This record gives sequence, structure tokens and C-alpha cells, in this order.
Amino acid sequence: MSVVERIEKLKSEALSALEEAGTTKDLESVRVRYLGRSADLTEIKKSIRDLPADDRKAVGGASNRATKAIEAALTERLAEVAIAEREEKLRAEAVDVTLPGVPYPKGSLHPSLRIIDEVVDFFVGLGYRVAEGPEVETDYYNFTALNIPPGHPARGMQDTFFLDDGLVLRTHTSPVQIRTMLGEEPPVYVVCPGRTYRRDSDPTHTPMFNQIEGLAVDRGLTLGHLKGTLAAMARYVFGEDVRLRLRPSYFQFTEPSVEMDVSCFVCGGSDPNCKVCKGAGWIEMGGAGMVDPAVLSEVGYDHEEYTGFAFGFGPDRMAMVRYGIPDLRLFFEGDLRFLQQF
Amino acid sequence: MRVPLSWLREYVDFDLSADELADLFSLRSQEVDGIERFGVLEGEVVVGEVVEFGPHPNADRLNVAKVDLGGQVVQIVAGAPNPYPGARIPVVRPGSVLAGGRKLKKAKLRGMESNGMMMSERELGISAEHSGILLLDDSYEVGRPLSDYFPVGETVLELDINPNRPDLWGMIGVARELAAILATQFRVPEPSFEPAGEPTGVYALRVEAPNLCPRYDLRRVSGGRPGAKAPLEMRRRIHAAGMRPVNAIVDATNYVMLETGQPIHAFDAEKVRGGIVVRRAHPGEKMTMLDGHTRSLDEEMLVIADEERGLVVAGVMGAETAEVGDETTDVLVEVATFVGRNIMETSQRLALRTDASGRFERGLDPNMVDFAMNRVTDLIAEATGGQPAPDTLSHYPEPVGPWQVPLRLSRAERLLGMPVGEADASERLRGLGCGVEPGDGKLSVTVPTFRRDLTREADLIEEVGRLIGLENVPESLPRAPQAGGLTPEQRKLRTLRRLLADLGLHEAVTYPFGPDRWTRALGLGEDGGVPLALRNPLSAEASNLRRSLMPGLLDAAARNRSFGARGGALFEVGHVFEPRHQPEGMREYALRYRMRGEVGLDAEVLPELLMGVGETNKVAGLLAGTVRAAGWNVPPKPAGFFEAKGIVERLVPGATFEPRREPFLHPGRAAAVLVDGEEAGWVGEVHPETADGFGLDGWPVAAFELDLAFADPDPEPRFRPFVNVPSVSMDLAVVVDGDVRVGEMLVEISSLGSPILAETRVFDVYEGSQVPEGKKSVALNFTFQAEETLTDEAVKGELDRISARLRDAFGAEVRRG
Ligand SMILES: [Zn+2]
Repeated sequence: MSVVERIEKLKSEALSALEEAGTTKDLESVRVRYLGRSADLTEIKKSIRDLPADDRKAVGGASNRATKAIEAALTERLAEVAIAEREEKLRAEAVDVTLPGVPYPKGSLHPSLRIIDEVVDFFVGLGYRVAEGPEVETDYYNFTALNIPPGHPARGMQDTFFLDDGLVLRTHTSPVQIRTMLGEEPPVYVVCPGRTYRRDSDPTHTPMFNQIEGLAVDRGLTLGHLKGTLAAMARYVFGEDVRLRLRPSYFQFTEPSVEMDVSCFVCGGSDPNCKVCKGAGWIEMGGAGMVDPAVLSEVGYDHEEYTGFAFGFGPDRMAMVRYGIPDLRLFFEGDLRFLQQF
Repeated sequence: MRVPLSWLREYVDFDLSADELADLFSLRSQEVDGIERFGVLEGEVVVGEVVEFGPHPNADRLNVAKVDLGGQVVQIVAGAPNPYPGARIPVVRPGSVLAGGRKLKKAKLRGMESNGMMMSERELGISAEHSGILLLDDSYEVGRPLSDYFPVGETVLELDINPNRPDLWGMIGVARELAAILATQFRVPEPSFEPAGEPTGVYALRVEAPNLCPRYDLRRVSGGRPGAKAPLEMRRRIHAAGMRPVNAIVDATNYVMLETGQPIHAFDAEKVRGGIVVRRAHPGEKMTMLDGHTRSLDEEMLVIADEERGLVVAGVMGAETAEVGDETTDVLVEVATFVGRNIMETSQRLALRTDASGRFERGLDPNMVDFAMNRVTDLIAEATGGQPAPDTLSHYPEPVGPWQVPLRLSRAERLLGMPVGEADASERLRGLGCGVEPGDGKLSVTVPTFRRDLTREADLIEEVGRLIGLENVPESLPRAPQAGGLTPEQRKLRTLRRLLADLGLHEAVTYPFGPDRWTRALGLGEDGGVPLALRNPLSAEASNLRRSLMPGLLDAAARNRSFGARGGALFEVGHVFEPRHQPEGMREYALRYRMRGEVGLDAEVLPELLMGVGETNKVAGLLAGTVRAAGWNVPPKPAGFFEAKGIVERLVPGATFEPRREPFLHPGRAAAVLVDGEEAGWVGEVHPETADGFGLDGWPVAAFELDLAFADPDPEPRFRPFVNVPSVSMDLAVVVDGDVRVGEMLVEISSLGSPILAETRVFDVYEGSQVPEGKKSVALNFTFQAEETLTDEAVKGELDRISARLRDAFGAEVRRG
């Protein structure tokens, strides 16, 4: 067998070996075997200069072509195998995508406070500010300044918690309105959210509950402004379709006084068995009215020049209807089974 | 106030169903709490006469009657034994619907056919009486519908009367109100009688406490038949209105009270000694009242007495002494007005509320007395056959007349935000009983004395507005002339709550009052002073105001544990209350501040001191048990000091911590949280004994509580320049004594003021076999950064400087390897 024939043989051996090698490692050993320092082809190349001059050209040419061909095939195979190998690796790396992800902590905000935040945001958008005050209140701020002097029957209806002489747990957030008006000249636009307390405990009353009140005092405010404001708030909280209605009522610190009902945002009054409105079609939201002139005078405002409206409602109740919570007592038990739903 | 509609129709005509009436009344006047129906709702009740009556052949407890219904004799099976042949009785026919919606059918009872039912008073809605069939007298004609005599079914509206409207505590007031709403007329009965009885004047009347009793009238009705019963229709109405019929005299007083709102008392004249004295109770006076209880009275209470004994606690309840009974023939009728507040206080102190006291305490119209007196004496005379006296003893020294209130129509429009016409407003107010003189855009309104709530222009505007209808007020939005918004503190609180929720804590709202245990368990009882206490707590378990948010959260955690939770994280933002000791002599000022809003001292005195209460807003978190359960790829996370501290570091970035002992905290795992040297709160593990006390035994519990003013969860960022040169990271492990505080090491390192040290991180603290007993290894990682690429020498030099400082300060040895 001539040298050239041997070269051709080696080449075709190498090419078929490359074809068979399935891994990067196998390809490397094929490369070492046919192109390595001690490979036959390398030996042949080294021996060219010992060959007769006539053969040198032929052998040199054949061995170079063979080397190139093997190298080319090797490169091609390496690329092919690398792809196959990566695919294999990725296949092996597959995970069960239905397993849960890393549990980042998830807490919750109290449902009543969620509602308060939402209502506050609404009023902030209308130009209101948020006023706050103490929960232990004086008799004066909680009652007298609100046109409920000592001995007034309306005091008896409030189920007040008493502390030391002249101190109570506030029965409403209205004293914050008084504090605000005493501290500022009109115009005043504030909302006052906070905890309030009444000595009452049954399935629909807890001795503590949240309240959010609002107060606007300015030139030219009317009952129509109160109605428009409350209707817009109701739509913001309960949806665009709800309607508001006012009914006459009585509060010492407003005149005229009204109750506000919101049309049932679940059934719209069409379901006599509706759980939310109990078939009435209306949900009681709270009380409101035009600030009584006696209250305006008490804080030194001119009740001829200024008029105002005030309103108050229960974010706990609003949360109950919004989120479908059946029992008010759940709100204040710190029960995780309840809290983590919000 | 219960309003039977058949009664209301006596005074005013209306063409509305009960539901429509309820809606209308709610939208124009007072809330309607409910509608109650009783008696026979639908169908026919006729007067029957029993022809035969005898026992049921197949049943011991049943009887069988043959009843003549006027030309038709039917058989009826009955349970009651009291009918007899010849008795006239009400029979309801099959097909009728009874209260509760039951439809009566023809039935066979133990083999005997029954065509209808003979009815008791209760079944007809006349009274609660159900022991036998109602026996009718001979004036009831056999075969006639019973409804020709009185309504056999009734619908009652339950009105929730606002406290400013005592006039609506009577049927006439309700009728007037409804007539005003419907813009129609109403009518009141006109009493008429022959005043031919024995004179009242033989009795004396002396009012010794005129400032508690603006009016007191007394009239005698004599010669009555003893034991008379009120007419059936009167008893039926009294029952429908929610009271109990008693006898002709008492029923007449109650009936007129229900009609007018004016409570009335009747004395048996023969039992009254000398005359009637209206006086304050004597010190130590006792009275045994009709409910059988003996009560001690005091001098603030008004008593109606005779010359010898107290007979009635005025406006509240009487004693047995001079009450009318079945033997009474001669009656002294009291119609009076008392001071509402005094009646309210008396009723509160005696813990006794009655139909009368509830009406008196609102303050009644003294001019109501005349009509009520005529009406009630008329009715008593009619029912008993007695005769009213020609004379009435009356104490009414300062007669009250109507008053004038001007009403500007422009003002009404400005307040209501809708047009108010002069004629319309005038008619509405007239409908309520006011006199109205219009003129020049203004109404001069004369208010009747029964509307004591109408004293100001705004009061009249309310009346006009509600009668026009609040649905006619157009909706509009005011334009606030200010930018709304949250204060920085309010925004901060929003961020803080959101952050805590995102860190995995659940927001709780707990009661701020609790048991003594709350104070004791926190070890605050001994030296921490006495907590503020409620005077009238719902229970002893809820009497002390909290001084910390912690007890409420601990109770909540224990509750969660009892329902199977293995742990959890809660937070709360809320007020805590500290007593503030008032200096000597401040009490008087404090009371003036609390009762009248007067500061009264120089402005230096904080309201807090006058309040005697320090109220602060706090945030607290509680981590209990396993805060986060293990996942398939994460270990469980138990509560612990560093979990709580990590949260605090987020809420108060830049805070420093120093060991702190609190009785309720683990002595070695608690720290004060300091902000610029000021104490912002604490963080620590709860003392196992405290945890035990709350039912959390065996659980790790860590917590923090911070004054909200110090929290800064999202501080204002400030840009610091950086250079695009790679930083170098180097580790250093040193061995120090076990009690050396790493925090102090870090302070020491930062005090070096290294120009190239950008960040220091503690990445390992180790105690154990690799280091000598009593020592620990602290591994630190430093990031060095300069404006030019750092050389190895520069870094090594800085590291050496740090090591040297740690060696000098703490005896730290650099650990090799
Ligand atoms: Zn509904």
C-alpha cells in the first residue's frame, strides 16, 4: 500500500470515527488519534522530508488535504454534538413547574382600614385633608360643643364609656371636627377617620368600631353639595351604578339632619332574598346634615356667612357589605383566619 | 311608637298600602322599623250563636259545636270549653288567612268535620287572652260580619321616633304628621260630657316643687260602676299599640296617652287622704311600687303624695297605695307636665323606665293637658258610667304660648340647595300646625307649643325641606379652595402599614381595654403606676386602658393558637394611654377644661395635663411560634429576636440598639431602639413567663413596639456619587472574647474613617470547637472602593489598620486559614 493510499485510508477511518463519536469527549479522542502528536498522519507528515523528492509532493498534498478534511469534519461534529449535549443537559434540568414558588411573605391590611384608606383617598382628591384627634376625649368636645349639653337626652342614647370626671372614650369622631374648627378659620374641608367607642355588645354592635366623618364649612355650601359629595363617594366605593337617597333624621349637631342610604350594589333592589340589603334594596350608610348654627357659633364661625355640612359612616359596616363579612365581631379578634383574607 | 293603621284612619284618610305608607313616612319623617300584622288578615269573621255544644265523641280534649251563622248552621270542632248554647261567638270561615299567613281549611278532626274556627281574643288581635273563646254580648247580631263592629285584622307600623319629636309619641301627632306629608286634613275627637259629678275641690292641690312641675291638673270623676271594663275596641287598640288592657279607668288613661303622648295618672279618690301634694321626696323616703320593688328615693326626685304618704314617683311609676282597682268608683285624674331632664335622671337612678317616663323625659307641651284631661275624663265617664266634676284644680303659673320664628326663603334655598316657593313653604308649615304670615321674601312663623323643637330658622328649613322631599335636592359637588392631601406623617403611616403587610405581618385592630392581667403580665403593676380605668366597663375583663399594644396582640396570638395556628405575625397601629399626674391644685382647672373647654391657665399648660392622660400613637408587631411554615424548598422560620429586629431596622433605618431589661422581655434578648440617642421603643423576645401567662407557653415569641413618631419606613433618598472603578472585596475573621458586642466592633471600624471602606458586612459569628472556650470568631466582609483602581498594598494596608484597631479595642486576634 502506498503512502498516499495509507493517507486516504486514515482519512476515511477518521471521518467515520468522527461520524460515530457522539460526545465532545469521544470527538476529542478521535482528534488525538488522527491528528494528535503521535497520530499516524502526523508521523507521515514528519517523514515527508525523508521521502524521495518525487513522492514528497504527492504525499504532502494528500496529507494536507486529509488533515483539512478531518479538521473540517471535526469542527462540524463538535458543533453538532455541542447542540445535542446542551439539549440533553437542559432536558435533565427540567423541574416540576407545578411545585410552589419560593414563599415570599404575604401579610394583610385590616379590612376596615382598607376602606378608610379608600374613602380618604377619595376625599383627598376632592381637596379634603385628614384630621385626627385623641380617643380619650373631654365631655366638652364629645358632647357640649356639639350642641349636646349636660342632661340632654341625646347623651343617654350614646352608651358612653366614662373615665375620670369629665373624660370619656369618644363616642364618635365628631370632636375632631370641633378641634379642627377651633384651630382653623374657614374654609375647612376635612375627613376624620378613627376608632370610636360605645358601651354596647351584641352580634351587630361591638364596644369599639371605626368611624369616618367629614366636615366642610365654606361660603355657600348647601344640602345639595352634601348630597352630591356623598353620592360621588358611594359610587367611588361601591361602583358607578349605585344611587344615594337621603331620609330625614335627627342629630344634635346638624340641622337639617339626614340618614343616607345607598342602593344595593349587589341586587339593585331586585332580589327579595338578597343577603346584602336583606331585600330592602337600600343599605344604610350613616348620618349627615348641615352643621347646626349652634355648633358654628360655638367655634366662633359666623353662621350667616358660612354654612357647612358634616357626615359620618361606619367603615366596618362598609367592609361588611363590600367583602361579604357576616359578623362585626370578627373585625376585632385578631384572628388570622379572618385577617389573612384581606 | 306602634301605630295601628285602623286607629290612624280614625284621624286621617289615606289611600296607601302599609308598605307604601312605611316608605313614605321613612322618606318624609321618621324611620319605620317594621310592619306587624295580626288578627285575621284576609277572609271573613262572622258573629255566630252556639246552638249545641258538647264533648267530641272520639277525643277527650275536644268539643263539638253546632253554630248558627245566621240562617246556616255549621259544625265546628273546638278545644276551648267555655262556649255554651246561646253564646254569641266570632267564627272565622274556611279560606281565611290568619296572622302568620296560615290559611284556614275545612278539616276533619278525629272523624268530625269542622267548618271554621271559633276565635279567642288573641286570635283576633284584641289581647293576649287565649284561654277561651271570646264571648260577645247580645248587641252583636248573629250572621253579621264582625268587622262591622271592630277590625278583625290589624297592621301596625313601628315608628322609630327621633328624640326631638315627643309630639309623635301620640296617635294624633302621627296623624297630623301624615296629613302634613299628604297635604291633607286630619281630625281629632271632640270630648263632650256632662260635668255633673262630685266636685274636685274638696281635695286640696299643693305644688311644693314648682320648678320641677310646670303644670299639674286634677279632675275628679265620681259615681262610676266598680269593675267596669273598657270597650272592646279600646282594649283592642291598646293591645295593638303594645300595652296591656287592665280596667276601664287605667285603660282610658293609657288610651289617651297613646292618643296624645301625654301620660296620665288616676288615683282612687277614696284612698287619697286630704289632697294631692307635689313635692320632692323626703330624705330616706321609700316607696313600694306597682312592680313590687321597694325603692329608696332622694330629694332630687319628684313625688306625688297625699297629705300623709307618697303615692307616685312623678312621671315614672306609682305605689299600690292609691291605685285604682276593681272596687274604685271615684277617681282623681292627674294630667301634668314635669321637667323632662328631672324625670330622665330619676328614671336612670331608679333604673326604671316606663311608657310614661319615656314620654315625660323628652319634655311635653303643657298645653296638651287641657285636651288630654277632657278626653280622658270623658272616656272614663263613658266606660264606668261616672260623671266628671265641674271643676278642675290646676297649677299652671306660667302659661306657655306659641312663639314666632322668622324664615327667610332665600336662606332656605341657600341651605337646601333647591328652590323653595313662598306658597309651598307656607302650606307645608301650616300643615304642621304653624301659623304663617308671608311677606317680603320672608315668612313670619308662629310655632305651636307642641313643637318645642322648632325654635330657629334652621329648624323650620329642615321641616320645609323634608316635606318637599329630599329626593328633590339636586346633587352637586363643592369646589374646595384648597389642595387636599395627606400630611407627611399620614403618608409615612400608609407606607409603614403597607411595608409591614409586605413583610408578612397581618394588620390587627384590637380592643384598647382589657383585664388587670394585661398590666400584671407586662410587669407594669408594681412600679408602673395604675392604668387608666373605665368607670363603667362592659366587664371587669375590659376595664383598663392599654399602655401597650402588646397584650392585645398576645391575646390574639393565643386565640390563633387555640384554633390550631402554629404561629403567625401580627401588627397593630393604635393609641396607648398613660396616666399623667396632675400637680396639686390643677383639678379645678382640669374640670373646667373637660366640661367647658376652657384652658383657664396660661398657655404653657398642656391640654395633656388637664386631661390627665398621655395618648400616643404606636406601632407594634408580634411574631409567635413558627412565623413561616417550611416549604419544600425553604426551612421553617421561627419567631426570634433577629426576625423582629430585622423588621425594626426596616421601620427605623439608622436606629441603634442597646441591651435593655423589661420585666416582660427575655433578659438577654431585648434591646432599646434608639434614634439619635432618643428612645423610640423596644424589640425583644417575650419573657417565657409572660408568654406562659398569655397561653403561649413553649412558643418562641418576639415583638417590638415603637413610637410612631420615630418610624421612617421610606426615608427621603439622597444621591451619593460613585465611580466606575471596580471595588475590591476582602474577608477578615477575628477571634474575640465571647461577650464582645459585634455592634461595638462595627462602630469602632467606622470610627477609623477609612477613605476607601465602602461597606462592612457581618457574615459569620461562630462559637465552638474551632475557637477557644469563651471566645468567638467574627467574620467580616469589607468592600473597598476608591476613585482609582486599588493596589493590593493599599487594600492590605487598610485591612491591617482595621485588624490593629480591633486588636487594640477588643483584643481581637486575626484568624488565619
Ligand atoms: Zn340587595
